[in-house]
Formats: sequence, C-alpha cells, structure tokens
Amino acid sequence: MIQPQTHLNVADNSGARELVCIRIIGASNRRYAHICDIIVAVIKEIVLNTPLERSEVIIAIIVCTHKELKHDNGMIIRYDDNVAVVIDQEGNPKGTQIFGIVRRDPSIVIVFRFTMGKDTIANIKTSIRNADMNRKGTIQIGYLNKKSKLS
Amino acid sequence: MISDIVNVILCLGNCVLLVNLRRMRLEKCWFCSSTVYPGHGIQFVRNDAKIFHFCRSKCHKNFKMKRNPRKVKWTKAYRRLHGKDMTQDSTFEFERKRNRPERYDRNLAENTLKAIKKIDKIRSDRASDHIKNRLKTGKVQRQKEARKQLELGIHLVKAPLALAQDSSLCLPKIKAMCPKHRQKRISPWKSEIGFAVPRLGIFVHQNLMHATRGLNYQEVFYVVSSGLEF
Repeated sequence: MIQPQTHLNVADNSGARELVCIRIIGASNRRYAHICDIIVAVIKEIVLNTPLERSEVIIAIIVCTHKELKHDNGMIIRYDDNVAVVIDQEGNPKGTQIFGIVRRDPSIVIVFRFTMGKDTIANIKTSIRNADMNRKGTIQIGYLNKKSKLS
Repeated sequence: MISDIVNVILCLGNCVLLVNLRRMRLEKCWFCSSTVYPGHGIQFVRNDAKIFHFCRSKCHKNFKMKRNPRKVKWTKAYRRLHGKDMTQDSTFEFERKRNRPERYDRNLAENTLKAIKKIDKIRSDRASDHIKNRLKTGKVQRQKEARKQLELGIHLVKAPLALAQDSSLCLPKIKAMCPKHRQKRISPWKSEIGFAVPRLGIFVHQNLMHATRGLNYQEVFYVVSSGLEF
C-alpha cells in the first residue's frame, strides 16, 4: 500500500538510497500501489559518486511492501519494509545489481517481464538461482553489463 | 527456494508469455508448529531473508506482539520444551525437510502415500501413549489427596451419629425400591384403619376389606373408585 509521501528503500545499485513516492502510474486517481506497480518517485538520499542526483524525479518499480500481497494461488506474503528498484521509461532497471531478499521473491521475475527477450529473462533467472546457490546477497543483471560475468 | 518455481516461457512470435508453476509444499507454522496448507496463512519475509510461515492470524498476531512461542502454552514449542509432548521418536525422521525434488514415479508415490498413513498412525499412537503415561502419576496423587480430604472432612458428609455407629468413610446405605420388582409385587401398607396401596393410589377402609378380599389390585381399584357405600 504505497501512496504518495511513502518513503521507500532502494534495492539496486543505481545510486539512489531512499525514494519518496509522488505518484502511482496507472489509473488517474489510483490510491495505492503494491508489488510490481510502477511509481514516480523523487530521490531523497543518494550514494555518492553515482549518476543519480538528489531530488531527481525518477520512475521505480515496487519490489517489497510491508502490506501483504495476495497471490492468485492463495499465498500471502509480507515483507519487513517498502523497497523499490529504479527503472527508466522503457522499463529497464537503471542499476546492474539487485540487493537483498528481493531476489527470493517469485514476483521478481514478473518485475522484469517487460524487458523483452527470452534470453534476458533466462539470464536474470539464472543469476538469481546462482546467487541463491552461492548464497550471495546480490544478483547481476547480465544483459546490462556485458563485461561482467553472471555470478 | 528458487527451485520451487518453474517458469515456463512460451514464445509465440513476438509475444512472450510467462507461466508460473509453483510447487506445493506444506510448511510448519513458525509459532504453533501446525502444518500450513496452501491457500492458508501468511508468510512474512524479514530483512535478513528469514521466512516465517504462519498458519492463521492468531499466530501472526502473537508474533507481531513479539511473544516467544516457547513461553506460550498452547504451542507445540512449549509443549515439547516442557515435556508435555513426545520429543524424540524415530517417526520424526520421516518428516524431515527435503530439498531435492524427486522425479515422479508412480510406485514411489503410491508407496509414499501408504507409508504416510501408517507412520502417522504410529506416531499419533505413541504420542497419546506418552501423554497417558505422563498423566498416570497425577491420577494416583489425586486419589491420595481425595482420601485425605475425605478423612478430614467426613463430618461435612456424614452425620456424627452415623459415624459413631459405622466408623467407615462410606456413606450410610439407603434402601431403595428396585424398579424391577415394582411391577411384580406392590406391597400394601397396612394400618388399623385399612390398607393402602400408595402406588396405585388406593386406600381401602377396613369396612371394605371384606368386600375386597380375594380380589386383585385392579378389581380393588374398581371397587373403590366406584364409590359404593358399604
């Protein structure tokens, strides 16, 4: 249940650290956003020496919410805080790594559903799985950073 | 685990379809240790990536209150910790969590289902035996206490006179009419005036006695109720 004025943590290495939701993309008077919803946010806190600036308006996708998300199969999942991932207009993530428990959520693959290409999604999945097996806290999105290896 | 998810991607021309097939797993409620079936309960993912499963909102709310299940009396954790329930048994080995998915084999599936039933029965029998044994000592103790209480408080239950006559801790015996004999023999109550059969509600005055001699109770009743004057 993210609404304007909600502070969100950021789960990638795009450079932002904390966002404040401004608007929910969708219907004109949409009240709340959940996981997998796209929001317009303003950056409140940044990591130094990154391309993003403070009070820059960006688009993000919500990845974890404190309010429960009810899946169609009856599963209800709740996280500990509200987390988003910074994306650009086309829907590609701005960062190259995703941190934290986000990688474990099944909806994370849905998050990247709009990134076209079977191999892209396969890459993301593989990297999630590999990250899981290696118990690393991060995954790398291979297609964005062609030089880095899939961890 | 990510291995739980099988994502089937169907590529139809330019369209990319994502179908999410989730494997079913019966979890244990973190708070009360009951099984959480699919479609029930809430999962909470903490920031350190620990997942808590709850079977119902009761457990979830208790968790939010930061209660320790080992101190909450109705949970399995408490019962196991305090020896109320069986803790160590070979049947528990069958229920351990396995992360390797098994390839479907019809015979294996059939045998597993049969085994589950049998093991469940054995486990529940052993668990109830454990509880029964635990409660046995309590019963003996309660009998002792009851006897002592009776000895001390016999004056509340039995009149002192009766106690003087019969010094046992039993109550005096009252003779009651046995229901079996009622139909066979109705004993009349005799007095100087006449005789009465209370159960039938008859009182036969002595003047009528010669009239009713030799009659059975039904006939006596007719004689009396007819109100004939003798």
